[in-house]
Amino acid sequence: MSERWSGFGRAFRLSLGRRGVERDVAEELRFHLEERIEELVATGMSREAAEREARARFGDLPAIGSEVARIDRRIVRRRGAAEWWDGVRRDCRYAFRALRRAPAFTTVAVLTLGLGIGANTAIFSVVDGVLLRPAPFLHMDRLVMVWETDRKSGTSREPASIPDYLDLQRLNRRFEQLTGFSPAEVNLTPDHGEPSRVAALAVSQGLLPMLGIRPLLGRNFTLEEDRPGAARVVLISEELWTRAFSRDRRALGQSLRINDVPHVIVGILPASADFGTLQILGAAAYGRAFADRGGRTRVDLWLPTRPNPTPESRGTHPLFIMGRIRPDATVQVAQEEMDALAAELERAYPESNDGRGTSVEALSRIVFGPVKPALLVLLGAVGLVLLVACANVANLLLARATSRMREVTVRAALGASARRLATQFFAESAILTSAGAALGVGLAVLGLRVLVSLAPSDIPRVGAVDIDARVLVATVALTVGVGLIFGILPLWQLRGNNLQSLLAGEGSRGTSVGRRHRRLRSALVISEVALAVMLMAGAGLLIRSFWQLEQVYPGFRTVGVLKAEFELPRSRYPQDYATFPRWPEAQRFADELRRRLAALPGVQSVSIAGSHPLDAGFTSSINVVGREAEAVDWAEPSIRRVDAGYFRTIGGSLMAGRFFDASDAVETAPVVIVNEAARRQFFEGRSPLGQRIRLWGAERVVIGVVGNERIHGLVADTPPAVYLPISQAPVTGGSVLVRGTGDPRGLIPALHRTVRDLDPALPLFGVEPLAETLSNSLGQRRFTMAVLGLFAAVSLLLASVGVHGVLSYTVAQRTREIGIRMALGADQGKVRALVVGQGAALTMSGLALGLAGAFAVTRLLSSLLYGVGPTDPVAFGGVVLVLSGVALLASYFPARRATRINPVEALRDE
Amino acid sequence: MPSPDLELLRGTLDLLILRTLSWGPLHGLGVTRWIERATHQRLQIEEGALYPALHRLEEKIWLEAEWGYTDTGRRAKYYRLTPAGRRQLAAEVSKWDRYSEAVRLVLTTEGTP
Repeated sequence: MSERWSGFGRAFRLSLGRRGVERDVAEELRFHLEERIEELVATGMSREAAEREARARFGDLPAIGSEVARIDRRIVRRRGAAEWWDGVRRDCRYAFRALRRAPAFTTVAVLTLGLGIGANTAIFSVVDGVLLRPAPFLHMDRLVMVWETDRKSGTSREPASIPDYLDLQRLNRRFEQLTGFSPAEVNLTPDHGEPSRVAALAVSQGLLPMLGIRPLLGRNFTLEEDRPGAARVVLISEELWTRAFSRDRRALGQSLRINDVPHVIVGILPASADFGTLQILGAAAYGRAFADRGGRTRVDLWLPTRPNPTPESRGTHPLFIMGRIRPDATVQVAQEEMDALAAELERAYPESNDGRGTSVEALSRIVFGPVKPALLVLLGAVGLVLLVACANVANLLLARATSRMREVTVRAALGASARRLATQFFAESAILTSAGAALGVGLAVLGLRVLVSLAPSDIPRVGAVDIDARVLVATVALTVGVGLIFGILPLWQLRGNNLQSLLAGEGSRGTSVGRRHRRLRSALVISEVALAVMLMAGAGLLIRSFWQLEQVYPGFRTVGVLKAEFELPRSRYPQDYATFPRWPEAQRFADELRRRLAALPGVQSVSIAGSHPLDAGFTSSINVVGREAEAVDWAEPSIRRVDAGYFRTIGGSLMAGRFFDASDAVETAPVVIVNEAARRQFFEGRSPLGQRIRLWGAERVVIGVVGNERIHGLVADTPPAVYLPISQAPVTGGSVLVRGTGDPRGLIPALHRTVRDLDPALPLFGVEPLAETLSNSLGQRRFTMAVLGLFAAVSLLLASVGVHGVLSYTVAQRTREIGIRMALGADQGKVRALVVGQGAALTMSGLALGLAGAFAVTRLLSSLLYGVGPTDPVAFGGVVLVLSGVALLASYFPARRATRINPVEALRDE
Repeated sequence: MPSPDLELLRGTLDLLILRTLSWGPLHGLGVTRWIERATHQRLQIEEGALYPALHRLEEKIWLEAEWGYTDTGRRAKYYRLTPAGRRQLAAEVSKWDRYSEAVRLVLTTEGTP
């Protein structure tokens, strides 16, 4: 009784459900029992006795049965899991191999996904961090600036006088609180190390609590400390604390020499304490433009304002007022109240407050307003790029799907289950999209770091920007979704299609599925091209604007000029207004510095001035002798104090009269030079030579007219300016301008040495070639242009890849047809024309669509444009040219391949 | 609740099954018959107890199971030793040897405690 078995293969346990297990167990045990019964019957027992005996020998049948079934179910579960894992691993391996076999496709797909995700996340993170994320200040929506306005000069956004501020604070009812601040730059002289120049802010005691800024260490000022004559205290920034004290807690209570006066450190403010100081000051009427902030874009010291309201001080305006309106008031209502109060002050103090009103403006608008348009444009652009990337990925996958139709059909016909095929294609798509997503995350992190480092610092809060997780997830989800959908497409297409007819239809060429694919691909490519055209149009407009700006003559020459700024401390260079303009120490410093610098090798010209050409400086009111009544309504011109060598050093142009020279000294008659804008505004374009201007208590004769220097930067108009010789109006702070042969940077060490020899405790700051100052003034525009240009380039690349892909595919699919044509006598030129023609059709459709879109959309850019309209023909023409050229190039390779088709092989190879 | 005897028996049963199958694949009844024959009917196992043991050994991948046909044409489940099972058999045999040697020592050593 030997048992052999002729097994018919491993039982496919996986298909065993619960019922199957129980069935198997029952069958196995039943076999045993029945065989035993037969045995016993064969020995002579009756069937019933045999059954009883067999069962008795077996044992508790039900219990044994259920125990065995339990074990089997465990086995099935474990094997099922193992098989599933094996399947997944196998699919992944196949997928990897399949992807490796098509390196071009894989690389392009992964790159496209990565670029789309990375760019989108990086830019959106910037926009979110700067614009969308709420500011960390209490009730930001109710914070406003209360500017003063001057009806006479037509300026708004002016600071207020201290007595005005105190009155407004006392009398208002619509504000929870009013506080003031005043920017300053001071010399910091540490015990060890070089003296440096830092930005400081004088704030009234209530400002920091109003904003909800709490010190990291220490405390805010007290009310007593905010009074004139109180002990001198200071709050330092976290950055300064790290830089100068290495975050040592014992910095508290130490003393800092600020402008040679010791101050005690009572607190340390966190990095987030910057409430957009730079933006507010930049928006203010006489604010120094970003250009001349150099590295001092961040406030390092906070000092108490120590307001001292004397009757005279109503005429000077040092204090910016910030406040929070009551919850029940609106900006409108607050404005009305302030207007009324200002009118009262005007009536009460006609001399100082004549023509002065107020303007209430929401803080968020001032801080974010200037940068909002640019950032939103970039955001829109990034959305477009993402669309292009998705379209490209979809296109790539669709092409791949189409070319594999045959493979899929055959495998399905051979019996591969839909699920198996689905899992394999899914694995491919998953690997592709994961790689793309990983690349995208990497690019996002890298890109953000690059963006933040390149971004001009007048974009608020840009330093605190980091990757926005929501956007990353959303972008990844979107692109991965697109990838997966189009990856599964071949299978989905297969459903409901007769396999037979598909196989017979030579793969996919003549079938309806193939046609649908083709149309979809063409549509995708056309939309890609259209989107790319829109981006290119935007970039083109910005590039043109920038180019126009660079063409603007700034009114001075920057070649070879080095600029350095300084501020002479009162302690060693007294500034006694009683003896003005006789300030011998300041004068001596200027003369000596000029002499020593001029003696340096390579130096052609030296000048010392109160402000360099891009420094807006300050203004003062003037009138013309004999026309005093008119002058009451004049705007205050910019007052520039320059030495005799100034115009020579910076290449100013003389329009009439003469420059300053050695004959203009403190003893001789006071003289002035005016600029062209002043001539036009104050002298109706007539010659002002010989006229007398009253300024600072003296009558000064106009001896010359110079061409406009673009004091307010390249974009804004030049204001009227009046130049005084420093021999008659000495400076205790200003700029040194040195023109030399060769690179101005080469003069830097010698400059530092000379100044140190002259005054070792005097810091120089803002030391840079004047050309760089000029270039920095265009920083934000350049940034926007560069980023948009990058996007346009990327989308153009993607779109051209799309065009190339479609054309290649067409050539491959129409190989037979092309072969026939060639056999019938078509020459290479005709074949090329066929392919290029199709490429042209795609491109032209996309171009038309894109131009229409661009016309509609570039209007949104108008606030960023300079010297060009939103439909500038040169820019648009450029786009058409570039696109056509690139499309032609993209068509070239498929066309060439088409001409290489051997008609014999093509006809045979089917 | 298995009695201590049964515990011991289960371990020994595994050993017997592994050894039996080391000569070639068998179905459950075949294993029973072989053990009966080899022990000249002296060892009677509760036949049902065999099946949980077989399936447990299959779960541990010491045995493989396959459906097959007997030479009378009936469908039965055959068990076969896997390479891992062979290794386990060797380990069990050596353990049994050591165990029985230890018992023998106790039984043959003289002397009062």
